[in-house]
Amino acid sequence: MVAPDLRAYAKFLPEYAELRWQENRSINISFLNGNITGNARSSSCGISARMYSNGSWGFASSPEPNAANIQAVIRLAQDNARFLDSREKKGKQPLPATSADSVRDFGTKKPKYTQKELLDFAKELDAHIAANYKDLTSRAVILNGLDMEKVLITSTGSYSHSLIPRSYVYVQMATDAAGSPVELGDLAGGLGQFEDTLTSPAKFHQMIAQLYEHLMHKREGVYADAGTKTCILGAKLGGILAHEAIGHTTEADLVLSGSVAKHLLNKEVAGPLVTLVDFAHTALGQICPVPVYVDDEGTPAQDVTIIDRGILKAYMHNKESALLFNTPPTGNARAFAFSDEPLIRMRNTAILPGNSKLEDMIASVDDGYYLIQPSNGQADSTSEFMFGVVLGYEIKKGKLGRAIRDTTISGVAYDVLKTVTMVSDDMHWSNGGMCGKKQQIPVGLGGPAIKCRINLGGR
Amino acid sequence: MPHQFGGPIAMNAHEETTRYALHALLQAGADKAGCSVNTSTKHELSVERAELGLLRTTVNVSINMLVIKDRKKGSISLNTLERSAIDQAVTEVLSMAAASQPDQAYDIAEAQEPRSFVAGGTEPQLDLMYDRMKEFVSAVRVKYPNIMLQEVYLSFNHSKSSFMNSNEAHFQTSQGIHRCTAIFSGQEGDNVSSFIYTGFARRELEQPLLACGSIDTRLRHASEQVYSQPVWGKFTGDLVIAPDCLGSFLGFITRSLSDRPIIAGTSVYKDSLGQQIANPIFSLHCRPVSPEIADGYFVTGDGYAAENSTLIDHGVLRSYLLTLYGAKKTGRQRAVNNGGAYVVDPGDKSLDEIIASVKRGILITRFSGGSPSANGDFSGVAKNSYYIEDGKVAYPIRETMVSGNFVEAFRHLSAISRERVDFGWAVLPWVCIPGISISGK
Repeated sequence: MVAPDLRAYAKFLPEYAELRWQENRSINISFLNGNITGNARSSSCGISARMYSNGSWGFASSPEPNAANIQAVIRLAQDNARFLDSREKKGKQPLPATSADSVRDFGTKKPKYTQKELLDFAKELDAHIAANYKDLTSRAVILNGLDMEKVLITSTGSYSHSLIPRSYVYVQMATDAAGSPVELGDLAGGLGQFEDTLTSPAKFHQMIAQLYEHLMHKREGVYADAGTKTCILGAKLGGILAHEAIGHTTEADLVLSGSVAKHLLNKEVAGPLVTLVDFAHTALGQICPVPVYVDDEGTPAQDVTIIDRGILKAYMHNKESALLFNTPPTGNARAFAFSDEPLIRMRNTAILPGNSKLEDMIASVDDGYYLIQPSNGQADSTSEFMFGVVLGYEIKKGKLGRAIRDTTISGVAYDVLKTVTMVSDDMHWSNGGMCGKKQQIPVGLGGPAIKCRINLGGR
Repeated sequence: MPHQFGGPIAMNAHEETTRYALHALLQAGADKAGCSVNTSTKHELSVERAELGLLRTTVNVSINMLVIKDRKKGSISLNTLERSAIDQAVTEVLSMAAASQPDQAYDIAEAQEPRSFVAGGTEPQLDLMYDRMKEFVSAVRVKYPNIMLQEVYLSFNHSKSSFMNSNEAHFQTSQGIHRCTAIFSGQEGDNVSSFIYTGFARRELEQPLLACGSIDTRLRHASEQVYSQPVWGKFTGDLVIAPDCLGSFLGFITRSLSDRPIIAGTSVYKDSLGQQIANPIFSLHCRPVSPEIADGYFVTGDGYAAENSTLIDHGVLRSYLLTLYGAKKTGRQRAVNNGGAYVVDPGDKSLDEIIASVKRGILITRFSGGSPSANGDFSGVAKNSYYIEDGKVAYPIRETMVSGNFVEAFRHLSAISRERVDFGWAVLPWVCIPGISISGK
């Protein structure tokens, strides 16, 4: 659908109001052992309005963004705000006024791939795996693409039109270890549509070769020894640590709900090697995986330096929390679908690189683990976190040893970060997953490798 | 389900659109096709930090089309019912199918007797929803003064669907349901418990929210867990799994019985049909159309009228959870439902008796773990949990990891409680599993 120009409706917005048109378009192609198990496209498009009245919110949405429905959605959101305001009578102050004028299009400028070209791309990768890696019991190749296009106007004068796409290829392999299945997967891709991320199947051959090599090591792997260990968390784990373990505790709505970070502002929460930033759109001179220039409340997005050399310095805000904290909003209010209200969400959260070389970090460990690939992660208001780890190796006397089977790491983030003694000079960004907090949303996770003490599950 | 009936099909706008799209797919050359049209409305009240803050009304539509031509398949979904958009999608999905590769296992549901299903109301009672939320917030403030209600959502959801396929399977559904989710923690000064979440679904709001599901028990847990201690050392003990947590454990079994691992051959249960895979005291059912389940469903994703089934009968695996494609691909039987709506039979001991039988172990109410290995190995953090020693719940714990193997866990399961929690979407008891590795500080 062609994005509408909502500016004509500005005159209908009362008090404090946001009006948003949004379309999410997705593509899914799945091959499982050479069979096509997914060949699907979907689109979800509509209009929403949100009103604020003395501390009470009203929201309404409709899938048909014609002129009559747009005005009906505005009226219904206003009615909903009044329903609550008439009962709750909070009498709160007006929200901070922000304004922006932004057009950002990260869509491809190349001719769009047809479904056949995408299917052929996945098929070629699948055939490459089948032809070159014989010792597998199963293989899967999945292409996933999501375009999020939004047009936003607000009663305080903001206008934003953005298209933020992401696309990636995920490869999973399984083998057999004495009658027991062993699996491993990895993904590649990121910001952009398939035309820009899937330029050639051969580009992914090295990732597949490395994945297979790791899987063969994992097949012979051992169970990790449970307990508190010295570990090198690889860059991918550094990113998920930044997001899950620290980031969530510093979202201002969770701070207000009593997260452990509530009492830690301007206190030492990490070793001096740790600086952690939620980047809005650009980090270290590069566009981030999920660039946000204007958030869904119409606030120009700012970087938030959460931890500066070990000291907790700031939280992430929407307008309502900014009002409560008497600080400017940071542009962290984001909604996943047209029918979702904006929530405080991270954008691109990363621990900044340090000065150490990864090989020196591994060499410095006498008895521990090098943990490379996370699966999932969860955080808590206490900063106690858990990450699944599907790829890692023992470190014995400074050298990599046997691979380990799937395990889980956990700890209290603000304690673990105080044990950080080395940070690598490289950086890995990923945005393949979704962050869940009532709604799901794409986020960027970035990090170097870090050396720390952490709890390991195992036997 | 209380208001369910299987009546004649009435012609309405949904029916007309579904029939139009199906006709267009066949006219465009599809050998087989299916189409569903769904309209959904949601009215949701939100509490944030113990204050009612948002009333949200959302309306959505969706049309899903599946096409098979020359044994090749494509599917597309969009959320507009405009005929021009449907016409464009018909052309696109046929082109997607043409670009695919043939597979003999692609198929659609056979002809079935047309049926119409109705459950629950169609309109929200906003004043009652508001009153129930206010009553809940007040009750929590009085009964659990150290609880911070971070977020509470109470919604009324109504959906109306029409499904047709070219084999003349034809269903209509109308379902209304209230759903409630609550996230909270206990707080005293600088001390804070881990957050706890729980929820339930109900057709009607006849009872106070505090009386539904496990929410009262979970609030008590959060209140008690403000002051927690680590478990010291590493030992092998019993895991008493609370109903809120049992879904994490059942998830391994149900995922292992579904299409992907069965087709890929990576499921540990791929050759276990008819075999003992759990202790004979354990029976697991899927009951999407049972009166026990308020938040069920009537039609499967493949277009069959859903039926109740038993997955595990006294420890014996009785059914996989295969779709029509998975069944045809593997030469096995199609499941008569989509899974979910799980009901575990009650046991013969009370929860108190189960805890009294534990020498050393943990009462686990939330498992925060990594995705389990295909072979069933798991490890993770025992969140919102308690240490049990000499038959008594000793104290709330933190920073404690548990690990074991799901396959072995269900084989060695030692007790199931008589008490169960009705979540609306599942009915689950407490179960006890021995031999779990537990490691603390």
